[in-house]
Amino acid sequence: MNKYLEVAKISFKAQIVYIFDVCIAAVYMVTKILFAYVLWGAVFRENETVAGFTYPAMFTYYIFSSFLSQIELSGNVSEEISSSIRRGTFSKFMVIPAGTQTYFIAQTFGVMLFYLVFILAASVAWTVLFRARFMMTSNPVLILEAIIMIILGLVFMIQLNYFLGILAFKYLDISAFLMIKSNVVAFITGSLVPLSLLPDAVITVMRIFPFYYVTYLPSMLLIGKNTEEALTGIIVLSAWFLLFTVLNKIAYNKLRVIYDGVGI
Amino acid sequence: MIRNLRFIVALLKLKLSRTMMYRLSFFGATFVDGSLFILWLLMFKAIYSQVDSIGGWSQGQTTVFLGTFSLLNAINMTIYFFGVIEIPDKIKTGDLDHYITKPVSPLLRLTFENINIGSSPLIILSIWIILYGVSMLDTPIRTGNIILYIIFIILMAVLYYDMEVIIRTIPFFVISASNIQMLEGAIFEMCMRIPGVLFDRILKIIFYFILPYGIIATVPAQILTGTASGRIIAMSLAIVTIFTMFTLWFWKFGLRHYKSASS
Repeated sequence: MNKYLEVAKISFKAQIVYIFDVCIAAVYMVTKILFAYVLWGAVFRENETVAGFTYPAMFTYYIFSSFLSQIELSGNVSEEISSSIRRGTFSKFMVIPAGTQTYFIAQTFGVMLFYLVFILAASVAWTVLFRARFMMTSNPVLILEAIIMIILGLVFMIQLNYFLGILAFKYLDISAFLMIKSNVVAFITGSLVPLSLLPDAVITVMRIFPFYYVTYLPSMLLIGKNTEEALTGIIVLSAWFLLFTVLNKIAYNKLRVIYDGVGI
Repeated sequence: MIRNLRFIVALLKLKLSRTMMYRLSFFGATFVDGSLFILWLLMFKAIYSQVDSIGGWSQGQTTVFLGTFSLLNAINMTIYFFGVIEIPDKIKTGDLDHYITKPVSPLLRLTFENINIGSSPLIILSIWIILYGVSMLDTPIRTGNIILYIIFIILMAVLYYDMEVIIRTIPFFVISASNIQMLEGAIFEMCMRIPGVLFDRILKIIFYFILPYGIIATVPAQILTGTASGRIIAMSLAIVTIFTMFTLWFWKFGLRHYKSASS
C-alpha cells in the first residue's frame, strides 16, 4: 500500500511544474458555468420550474457537475496508456514492482488531489462572480453518501479508461474512439444536462449502468434531491468496481503478451 | 487565380494519397464530431421536452442553429482546419521557412495543404440536422431565404477561418500560445451550444463583436427561419469584412516578426 501512496505523492508534487495548466483548467470551468448561466437563465425567464428544478437549484447542479467533471481526470489514463503502447514505452510500467491498474489509480488520485484545491477555489469564485444563490444540502448523511459515491465513481472511471487504454495492445490507434467516448460520457454522466430531463424509460435503463452515479447522482444528492437513490447508487457502483477489477486483470494478462515493446 | 486553383488541386491529390495509408482513421473526425452534434441534439431535445421555447426560440429554430454550426464545423474540418492548426508548430520549429521560400502565398498553402476529405460526410449529417429542424418549423421557408442562407454560410465559414488564423498568428510574437488556443476551443464549444440571441449586455458585446462566435451560426439560422432583421444582416457583413481585413493584415504583420528557426 505504501508504494502506491508514494506514487500518488510523486504525482501530486509533479503537478507543481504544470501549475499554469492547472490554473487554466480552473478557468475553463467558467465556460461550463457560463453555459448554464446563459441557457438556463433564458429558460427560467419563461418558466418558474423545469423538471422539478428552480433556477438556483439548476445553477447549483451545474456548479457541482462542472466541479466533478473537472476533477475527473481519468481520460489521461487511457491516453497515456494507449500512446505509450503505440510508442513502445509502456515497458516502463511493466517492469515496476506494482500492479499497473493500481499504479494508475494511485497516479490519477495524486493529480486529482492537486487539481481539487484549484478547482474548488474556482468553483467558489465563479459562484460569487455569477451572484448565484447556492443551494447545498446541510444533511451530513447525504453529503457523506455523495462523497463515497464520488470516490467510487472516480475509481470506476479510472478503471474504465484503463480498460480502454490497454485495448491499444490489440488495436494500436484508438484516439478517435477515445474522443467519441469522452463525448458520450459527458452526456450520460449528466455533465451536459441533468439526466432527470430524459424520458423515464431511459433513466430506468441508465440506473443499471455506473455513469448515472458518477456525476449526476452525487450532484443531485448535494442539492438535496434523489435522496432515496443514494444507497442503491453506492451498491451499483461497488458492483461495477468489482467487475472491472476482475475484467481489467483478465484483459491485461491476455493482451500484454501481444505487446512487442518496439512501437510505431 | 487559376494558378492558385491548380495549386490547391495538386495539394488535394497529395493529401489524398497520404491519408489513404491510414484507412482506419480516415473517417475519424466524422465519427468524433458527428457523435458530438448528435448528443447536443439529444440535449436540446431533452430540454424542449420540458419547455416550449428557449429565449423565444422554438425547438425547430434551435435545431436549425445546431445543424448550421455542424455544417460550418464540417466545412472547417474538411477544408482548412487541419492546415491552420499546424501554423503555431511551424512558427515554433522554424518549418515556416519552407513555406516562405516557395513561389506561392504561405497562408494559401498552409490553408489548403491538409484538406481532409474524411470529414466531408459531416456535411451530409449537418444538412440532415438542418432539414430535421426545418421540418419542425411552423412557417414555410422562402427561396430568397435559402439563397441568402447559402451566401451567409460561405461568409461565416470565412469568419470562422479568420478567427482560427488570428489566434494561430499570435505565436509569431509570443512563440507559444497553446493555452490561448485551448481557451479559444472551450469558448468556441460553448458558443456552439448557445444560440447567440440568448446573450445579453456585456456577453453580447463579447460574442458578437470581439470574439464573434456568437453570430457564426446564429445569423444564418435566423436568415433561414425568417427572423433576421436587416440590421443584423448588415452588421454581420461588416463584422466579416473587418475581421477578414484584419486577419490578412495581422498575418502579414506577424510574418514580418518571424525569426525563422530561432523562434
